[in-house]
Amino acid sequence: MAENPNNSAAAVSRDEELKRLSVMSTVRAVLPIVGLVLVFIVFNVLTAGRMMSNMSLVLSQVYVTLIASMGVFFIMTMGGLDFSQGSILGLSSIVVCAVSNINVPLAIVCGILTGAAIGAINGYFYVNRKIKSFIVTICTMFLFRGLIKYLTTNSPVAASAKIIMMDSTVLKVILTVVVLAIGFVAFNYTKFGIHLKAIGAGEKAAMFAGITTDRMKFLIYVLAGAITGLAAFVNVIKVGSATSNSGNQLETQILIALVLGGMPISGGAKVRFMNIIVGGLLYIVLSSGLTMMGFDTQTMQLIQGVVFLVFVAVFADRASLQVIK
Amino acid sequence: MSEIRLEIKDLCKTFGITKAVQNVSFNINKGEVHALIGENGSGKSTLTNMLTGIYSIDSGHFIMDGKEVHPKNQVEANNEGISIIVQELGTLSGLTVAENIFLGHEDMFVKAGIKNTNAMNRRANELLKEYGFDRIKASAYIDDYNFEDRKLVEIVKATYFKPKIVVIDETTTALSQEGREELYKQMDRIRSEGDTIIFISHDLPEVLEKSDTITVLRDGVYIDTVKSSDVTVDDLKRLMVGREVTGNYYRADYGEAISDEVVLTAKGLTVPGQIKDVSFTLHKGEILGFGGLSESGMHEVGKAVFGASYDRQGEVTLADGTHINDIPTAIKNSIAYTSKDRDNESVVMNQSIGENICLPSLDSLKGAGGLLSGKKMKDFADKFAKEMSVKMVNTDQFVSDLSGGNKQKVVLARWIGKDSDIVVLDSPTRGIDIKVKQDIYQLMDRMRKSGKSIIMISEELMELIGMCDRIIIMKDGEINGELMRSPEMDENTLIEKMV
Repeated sequence: MAENPNNSAAAVSRDEELKRLSVMSTVRAVLPIVGLVLVFIVFNVLTAGRMMSNMSLVLSQVYVTLIASMGVFFIMTMGGLDFSQGSILGLSSIVVCAVSNINVPLAIVCGILTGAAIGAINGYFYVNRKIKSFIVTICTMFLFRGLIKYLTTNSPVAASAKIIMMDSTVLKVILTVVVLAIGFVAFNYTKFGIHLKAIGAGEKAAMFAGITTDRMKFLIYVLAGAITGLAAFVNVIKVGSATSNSGNQLETQILIALVLGGMPISGGAKVRFMNIIVGGLLYIVLSSGLTMMGFDTQTMQLIQGVVFLVFVAVFADRASLQVIK
Repeated sequence: MSEIRLEIKDLCKTFGITKAVQNVSFNINKGEVHALIGENGSGKSTLTNMLTGIYSIDSGHFIMDGKEVHPKNQVEANNEGISIIVQELGTLSGLTVAENIFLGHEDMFVKAGIKNTNAMNRRANELLKEYGFDRIKASAYIDDYNFEDRKLVEIVKATYFKPKIVVIDETTTALSQEGREELYKQMDRIRSEGDTIIFISHDLPEVLEKSDTITVLRDGVYIDTVKSSDVTVDDLKRLMVGREVTGNYYRADYGEAISDEVVLTAKGLTVPGQIKDVSFTLHKGEILGFGGLSESGMHEVGKAVFGASYDRQGEVTLADGTHINDIPTAIKNSIAYTSKDRDNESVVMNQSIGENICLPSLDSLKGAGGLLSGKKMKDFADKFAKEMSVKMVNTDQFVSDLSGGNKQKVVLARWIGKDSDIVVLDSPTRGIDIKVKQDIYQLMDRMRKSGKSIIMISEELMELIGMCDRIIIMKDGEINGELMRSPEMDENTLIEKMV
């Protein structure tokens, strides 16, 4: 089609504008990695290299959070939120501990099933009863935290010696890598990932493109619960018992980690798998760095809160920000 | 008569480095309907959005009745005597009709810090009655009303305070004939009271009929101002596009026989509150039109065929006996659908053009090991975006950056890529400029010739008459007649059956 000169001039300037925008989005994409390197260097300097030498200790805290983040990553990609992760981890940990006294493989399976069951409850109220996901999951967070407290009133639930004996860095690394690798492939190279992003970017249109949005949303919550149920196993072999505080604030840690990794809070097409990896590492470096520098818990929370707010302010995609589902 | 109401002087607006409006100057008189026309992106809406305080002014002036106006928001614009009726929904959900009408002007009903809701509702009811919209109740929530009635509420909202200038931006394309008539009535009233209307529309015959003066913009530049009585539709097209528009706009053939092969049968389709007992057949290679008032249920017919209706009864059956009851089944069996609500139901706005095009075809884009191949997806998206000549930088660009016409092209590219045999197009050219419209008509004609079947649902009677082999007219949720393609058919034949 013939264009008049004016029109093509306008089109060229629009091209430039779009290129500028894409440069900006590249900056946003690179920023978390730069942040990770910077924070790592800063803490190593401040702690005179202690962080580097204690790397295995630093990393030992990352596994549970990283595994559990995987499910929440999927949930947030489709525009939802999940605040019940800590309670899922807690209750699943209790189940794993209790059943481990009977049979260890069965304990792992029961942990996963417990997580999946809570995920199904979240999914049911979110999808079938059409309640916003953050409200549903805040409710289940309190509900199951209450149950956890009740179950641990007299004493923590102790795990069997057999399961505690399994504690090894190799196992934890393998589990984490396997979960993330499956997540990576599913997210980038299957329909699953593209459908998730489409739901996050425009649910109704996704439905009209043939995606079974409701079923997908429900199953993602079940999946996220199941993954955290698996994380409970890792948690139990590390800690050896489940207390009333097991998994406390895991949901906030996950949320902070993902946002630190540059995850857009409303999900959608701008989500990158890198967000979860960089975010998880950044969070662990930040929190263990602060611990090593001798800050007390309260100050740490304060600092984390400020960092969180800054990152949300930087990464919130205001143009496409919709109500969180 | 020709007393100047508004002087526009050297107006400029840039977005980033895109010059949306460049040094535009012209005058608008009192007591006239002044149409503003131009293709998508020509700067019409940008200009009126500056006048009504939605956008800030980069440079230049608006001088109304000899005094410069520079509203910073819509409420200030209202206070200056300028109001606007926007293209899409301009009412706010969750508020009552009265609250919507008096939005930003609640002070009228506030005494000692307390809002007198009763007085507000009373006043709103009076206004609604005055306008003849009695069926709308002031105290009801706006959500209780359909698109059409909400537009009527907007008309009241924009005009009750006797503004000196009312901007009507692309409102008529979203309205049915009935709604348009109401709007025209109000336009006549405002004009006869000596006030001014700035009328933006893509519908050129409508522009010629309803306006006194027409100003043409192209790529943000002022082209010309003409008297409506001195020009023809072709003159306007030439001014807008900057060249002669040639070739057939609609398809030119008449008397071609429709194939006997039935590809889809709908039997007793009923959706509570929407459609009642709708039955029809769709033949191979035909364009079947659905016309009617916006609320006649014709839009729901499209959804019902695609399996997207909530609580549908009746049957949709394909030639091989497959029943279509949900969207995935419909897509799997080669049915495509483009919604009237393009931004919400057709394109995934915040996603790339490429993924939008690939979405229903992912199963065919797998590479080794059953995993999706990025290269295949890219090639697929590139191919069909190019085939539809989507104006874009590349397929990684987000759909939200595109104009309405280009969004529609992305949706069509998606279904052409899927090679759908039955295509349901609901208001395919709504709010789209001439050039893209022509592209879409030509595409439909090509598809028809290659044996695809099309259901075209439209509120634009001319395009139904111009494109369809058969037209089914809907009224109050039921089929109220069927017309065969003929050169003698005109709008009145259809309207008779519609109302």
